[in-house]
Amino acid sequence: MSGSHAELLVIGAGPGGYTAAFRAADLGKKVVLVDRRLTLGGVCLNVGCIPSKALLHAAKTIKDAAAMLGHGVKFGPPAIDLDELRGWKTGVVGRLTGGLADLARRRNVTVVNGQAYFRSANSVTVTSAAGAEQNISYDQAIIAAGSEPVSLPFMPQGDPRLIDSTGALALQSIPARLLVIGGGIIGLEMGTVYEALGTRVTVVELMEQLIPGADKDLVAPLHKRLAGQFEKILLKTKIIGVEARDDGLLAQFEGPDGVSSALFDQVLVAVGRKANGRLVGAEAAGVTVAANGTIAVDQQMRTNIPHIFAVGDVVGQPMLAHKATCEAKVAAEVACGHNAAFEARVIPSVAYTDPEIAWVGLTETEAKREGIAYEKGVFPWAASGRSLLLGRDEGFTKLLFDKTTRRLLGAGIVGPSAGDLIAEAALAIEMGADDADIGMTVHPHPTLSETIGLAAESYSGVLTDLMPRQLETRKV
Amino acid sequence: MNQISKLQIVEISVPDIGDFRDVPVIEILAKAGASVGVDDTLVVLESDKATIDVPSPFAGIVKEVRVKLGDRVSQGSALILLEAGAAPDVVAVAPVPAPIPVAAEPVAVPAAAFAPAVEAPPAFSPAPAGALPHASPSIRRFARELGVDLHKLRGSAAKGRIQKSDILEFVKKTIAENAAAAGAGAGLDLLPWPQIDFGKFGPVERASLSKIKKISAGNLSRNSIIIPHVTNFDEADVTALEQFRLDMNKEREKSGEKLTMLAFMIKAAVAALRTHPNFNASLDGEELVLKRYFHIGFAADTPNGLVVPVIKDADKKGLTAIAAEAGELAGQARAGKLKPGDMQGGCFTISSLGGIGGKGFTPIINAPEVAILGAARAKMTPVWDGEKFQPRLIMPVSLSWDHRVIDGAEAARFLVTFTSLLGDFRRVSL
Repeated sequence: MSGSHAELLVIGAGPGGYTAAFRAADLGKKVVLVDRRLTLGGVCLNVGCIPSKALLHAAKTIKDAAAMLGHGVKFGPPAIDLDELRGWKTGVVGRLTGGLADLARRRNVTVVNGQAYFRSANSVTVTSAAGAEQNISYDQAIIAAGSEPVSLPFMPQGDPRLIDSTGALALQSIPARLLVIGGGIIGLEMGTVYEALGTRVTVVELMEQLIPGADKDLVAPLHKRLAGQFEKILLKTKIIGVEARDDGLLAQFEGPDGVSSALFDQVLVAVGRKANGRLVGAEAAGVTVAANGTIAVDQQMRTNIPHIFAVGDVVGQPMLAHKATCEAKVAAEVACGHNAAFEARVIPSVAYTDPEIAWVGLTETEAKREGIAYEKGVFPWAASGRSLLLGRDEGFTKLLFDKTTRRLLGAGIVGPSAGDLIAEAALAIEMGADDADIGMTVHPHPTLSETIGLAAESYSGVLTDLMPRQLETRKV
Repeated sequence: MNQISKLQIVEISVPDIGDFRDVPVIEILAKAGASVGVDDTLVVLESDKATIDVPSPFAGIVKEVRVKLGDRVSQGSALILLEAGAAPDVVAVAPVPAPIPVAAEPVAVPAAAFAPAVEAPPAFSPAPAGALPHASPSIRRFARELGVDLHKLRGSAAKGRIQKSDILEFVKKTIAENAAAAGAGAGLDLLPWPQIDFGKFGPVERASLSKIKKISAGNLSRNSIIIPHVTNFDEADVTALEQFRLDMNKEREKSGEKLTMLAFMIKAAVAALRTHPNFNASLDGEELVLKRYFHIGFAADTPNGLVVPVIKDADKKGLTAIAAEAGELAGQARAGKLKPGDMQGGCFTISSLGGIGGKGFTPIINAPEVAILGAARAKMTPVWDGEKFQPRLIMPVSLSWDHRVIDGAEAARFLVTFTSLLGDFRRVSL
């Protein structure tokens, strides 16, 4: 057993971990970065955001080609070469993770492969896949151990037809019928991919709408489109059992219409993710780990042990890469003696479905629940030339403003590229922009980004692209 | 008002504790999982000169303790989550909003959705922007690094947006003000406290100061240093008054209602304050706050130190009521059960050591009041009446007053009024 020392030890090389490691290295720390995967990038790059978006791009291309059928451009039916598609996806992932390895090398960040486990408040043992152990002592540590998919205990264990998001992204085959358990972002994204590749997809969701965190009106256009593509969308329905049979997996549902069952070739479980606080034995360092695996931190990302920080999924919801990177910079800077703190007012959420759904800051559901006085400006994409050129008219942009200060509090967008558009709203909220600031910023024409300016103008009562319904109530 | 139905989770928060805010939690008796009865103490808070027990409004099981020792809380701060059983009159306790299905173990919820916004911890949910300083992320970081509270500035840019230059100006101004204040002699520039190894001179023991003493120490030092105290001395002839008191107590022996000298002094103080309104005042910057109410504090000796309960609206109460109320407050003070409200709102304080002894003393003013009266032990004294010496019961009194508000002549007049009131108590009704 060998031993080494790190000024800063970072556990986990996902977006939170590698960002923390790189930032601290740039600030002069001797950093050791430990990850159990052979490549850097964690879930996000290896089995999450990046590969799923590669496959979603393929799915969108198939749909876009088909959509031109009636518009004078005719393609034949797509021929899917699964190996080639998987190879392309893996190539994109490899290019990104390879880039990270190169960045780590050039920063003199020592990368250690293996599973880290805390031994004390100042040391960990790292066990490699081959079983070799090494002790690493450290002055400070950042836990960025991430999360993993929640599994359902009543499922047939070890059946290869039962997959989680990692298994779905591996793209081993294209099943004829797929059941997706969980109508959240991950389930719908994977359902979208498989449907485009020819699978008949059923989604089952316990709550009364898909993507329960988003406002219902934003989800409605997506629901409508998916209803025409998927075999079934079952809301307010739970799985009461899955039976492994030779001819498939027989799932039993219990919903508003009673109990029913159906046979599937594969079942994807996408019911959420569980923080990995227990996986690294953080308790041995004195760090308090909650029953659900999360580690509580303060605004400076410190755990209850002042020289140990935690960032990303392991500190809890929202489990999003862009939240992790922001927290990681705070933790690294605080570890290096800077007076940093996590002060982001909002964290955007995006479902990369088709249409995409994106929201940031206050939602209408939250505003109503908490009694926050807000007013809204909405611009329907049916009045956007650019949207119509994409063959789509169901999207809309919704901005929520503070009734008194008129500053932007939240935004929700549904439509193609909503995820790219939401960033402007996030910036506007952080900068404290009001409706006039947004509306008077010149947006390029014809773009989808215009819809944000136009929604603000609609609220201001100066919109000319639609009839001024709101002019009576909202004078400037 | 809703009755709590069986097994409802209720949030118990800090009740009305008077004007106090951010008081520390000094003791937590409630434990998660433990059962509590109605009025069992859940946590103990400490404010100004008293500890405050927060009792449980219901019987039930403690589900969660939401505070730690040392946390600072104010009225309405959440303390405890209680699973209340059948409960008596429920007042002002809001049921916790229906729990969002997030804290539950995800495993137990099939088809639970992956829903970031719903599950986001409160720290990340946006507050209404209207309540937040109008400043961009980089400006917020700059302010944090300098320790500037952005709520204290108004930005110079359009719509009050705070710019970097606003923060720099604020910091410069604060430094300049502090420097000016220091130059103007506000800093005391005292010698360090002497460090003595007492053990060298003989055996010693160490005992920690009681909480009340620790708190009074700060208040008394401040008052003693900042207020320009002057103390006047006088004597009151209480021969007739004491006789009247004894007669009345004898007459009402059966009812148990007892008059005390303190009650007479409180009543006399009210009458003197009416005649000299500048004594019923507080200094606020360059303004005098003149009070149109008469709440009189009195120093009460307790095993843990000195506290000052206040008799509210002493002008509207009779001697018997005042004596009874003072007795009750003093009893509560000795038991450590005074509520903060019992010690607030005083206009003027009386410190009587007459029951113990002494010829006179110079009391320290209980800021923001502007005067305090000290009474020493009354003594039978030969007094020349122009023809011969008469035995008279003479009580020495002293009056410390704030020279920023009151002048020597006014103070002398106040004492003359006060002593002549005690000399002939019929004057009180004039």
